[in-house]
Amino acid sequence: MTRPQTIAFFPEASFGAALNCVGIAQELQKKGAIPVFICHPGFTGVFADYGFKEYHLPEDPATNAETIADYWQEFTNTHVPHFNLDPLAQLQTYVRPTWAAIVDTVIAAEDDLARLLQQIAPDAIVLDNVIMFPAIANAGCPWIRIVSCAETEIPDPAVPPYLSGLTPEDTGAIASFDTAYRAATDAVHRHYNRFRKKHLLADLRGAQFLEPSPTLNLILSPAAVRYCRRNPLPEDKFVFLEGCVRSENQFDPPRFPLSAGPLVYVSFGSLGAVDTDLIKRLIAVFETVPARFLVNVGAQIEAYDRVPDNVHLGSWFPQPSVMEKAALAIHHGGNNSFCEALYHGVPSLVMPYCWDGHDNAQRAQTVGVGRHINRADWSIESLRADIMAILNDTAMRGRLAEISDDMQRNPGTKAAAAAILGALARREKGDEVPAGTMVS
Amino acid sequence: MAEPRRHIRQNHLELAQKILGVALETGMAAGDHLPEQTFSKACGVSRTPIRSAFKVLEERDALEWRAEEGYFLTLASPEDISATIRSLEESEHSVAHQILSDRAERRIGAVQSVSALARRYNAPRASVLNALKVLTKDGIVRQLPGRAWAFQPMVDSANAIEDSFDFRILMEPQAILAPDFALDTKRAGLLRERMTSFLNAPEGAVAPAGFRRIDVEFHTLIAECSGNRFLRGTLTAHHRLRKASQKIALSPEFRLRQAMLEHLEILDSLERSQFQLAADQIVVHLRRSRIRKPQAANRGIPPLAKGPRT
Repeated sequence: MTRPQTIAFFPEASFGAALNCVGIAQELQKKGAIPVFICHPGFTGVFADYGFKEYHLPEDPATNAETIADYWQEFTNTHVPHFNLDPLAQLQTYVRPTWAAIVDTVIAAEDDLARLLQQIAPDAIVLDNVIMFPAIANAGCPWIRIVSCAETEIPDPAVPPYLSGLTPEDTGAIASFDTAYRAATDAVHRHYNRFRKKHLLADLRGAQFLEPSPTLNLILSPAAVRYCRRNPLPEDKFVFLEGCVRSENQFDPPRFPLSAGPLVYVSFGSLGAVDTDLIKRLIAVFETVPARFLVNVGAQIEAYDRVPDNVHLGSWFPQPSVMEKAALAIHHGGNNSFCEALYHGVPSLVMPYCWDGHDNAQRAQTVGVGRHINRADWSIESLRADIMAILNDTAMRGRLAEISDDMQRNPGTKAAAAAILGALARREKGDEVPAGTMVS
Repeated sequence: MAEPRRHIRQNHLELAQKILGVALETGMAAGDHLPEQTFSKACGVSRTPIRSAFKVLEERDALEWRAEEGYFLTLASPEDISATIRSLEESEHSVAHQILSDRAERRIGAVQSVSALARRYNAPRASVLNALKVLTKDGIVRQLPGRAWAFQPMVDSANAIEDSFDFRILMEPQAILAPDFALDTKRAGLLRERMTSFLNAPEGAVAPAGFRRIDVEFHTLIAECSGNRFLRGTLTAHHRLRKASQKIALSPEFRLRQAMLEHLEILDSLERSQFQLAADQIVVHLRRSRIRKPQAANRGIPPLAKGPRT
């Protein structure tokens, strides 16, 4: 009898990655593996509530609840205005400082992560992040990369640049964006490469912060929105996932005093929820639309009052179960939200504010599964018209029904679990490159 | 004579909700038979009020009567059962329920006048005043000097939920440890059966609304069995507020099942009069339930564990 394999998941500290990994871990558990989670401080309990063992990275002794609250306050004051800028203008204002902060978190976590990995002694590590941690490459076991951002994260001459919000046809703008992106990230990239060198990892080129895994790479990008690459990715190392939707609780829609109309789910993620002014303006529009709106306001519920009779606010929703019942999803273009909407055949009205939300907004509009709305440029009339148009777009709904059928026939969670176990089995047989071998 | 009749009707409405709650928690489906004996035992009442409550449910097309066979469930899905429970709750205290529901949903402000509420609900002032008295009894609203009425804080935000857990971690063990704690074994036995049914539901069929109902009833039972009258009063009022405030059980199915098992373990200890152990177990249970998802998260930033400053 073979020993069950321990698979250590290490998602970044964001809900998209965390819950995406939960979906894959649920399937691995059904197949007899033992998934465990390495948690960033603050994510304690998120995975235990789904029944998984957690290993905790310690909190930075210099921070406490008060300093973190201060940090978020400052972040909100500084960056909410930047969310209204276009992707090019965000490179200096938002992307550069965010990469710098990400690199700092990697450096800070390195020793503790190495210690935890030694304690867990996993058979494999699944990394769902945008950056490499040397402790993972040096752990002595294979590691698997999940790309849970948009497909643009894996570059190709036929794919528009990561975070650009451009289409492949925007050739002039692509060249300018590439140049500006490298300029914005150059200093932090060099800083990161010095850190890698110290831990015996090769330099990364091309403004990349994470190399492909030599064992397996899982890309959360359904066929319906995938690009036609000039250099196809090798199929034995890259597996595209048709969504990655976890099992969640049943969801009973709440009672609305005005109970008529289709159900619309609205969520900009926990980060987007900090922009309460925008959400209040949206709610004023929702009041005029003959539909019922479920609005995820995250931690900010106390900022709201006089909620209209066709709107219900919540601080958390079991999103996959809500999507299943929704006629429209209004979101920020987070890849997990976008894929969950596609999985359930729900059109997306994407109002991006940063990062790959721009890429998914463009893609939703281009392939006809939703609309892209500029968060800083809409009126009550235009937004209302967009919502009504998308709710009444039967052609789009038909297209989405087919996409949903295809995705549900080959769920990404099952495909990912099978690919992980398959890659590990192949590696055990010896037809695999050794762990830690660099591919750049 | 009108008043007693109204009370009897209300009792039947309450019992009808309980019957559907049991049907939901035990995973009953359309066409399933509802034996009087079983529901009489599950709800802790005789068969006569069960028959009356069945009739109430028949009037609402939730059950059908078949001669010689009895009553059968007609509701097709758990969602339909939940919707009927909600509609029964609403008819129980119509205006009071609407006021409370609208405040919990932040549709109306924290300070209200009888006139404004009468306009909103198109109801006579006397009905609104009665509704406010019902809510006052539950500690949800209080009359300010003059004509205004003020709602008490609800348990509806991250910070309020945290405060609620802090309060309960302090008070619930004390309610158990107070001298003369006396477990109502009949109610405890009925709750045990419902908890067991909840745990026996197949994977994916656990109803979060069912968990909330059992959870509030279990913690209310502990409060009401306390030997200290002030702990009893304060905690039962707080559980009423929790029941009114929280609309969705926020935890995944695994945690809901784990929490239900913890309830059963606490009940085991109480039934064996191991009060110190039960008090320790309730602290562990509440501490586990208190762990919340981060309130906000983003790349490169430590997740925000607590709600924003208010």
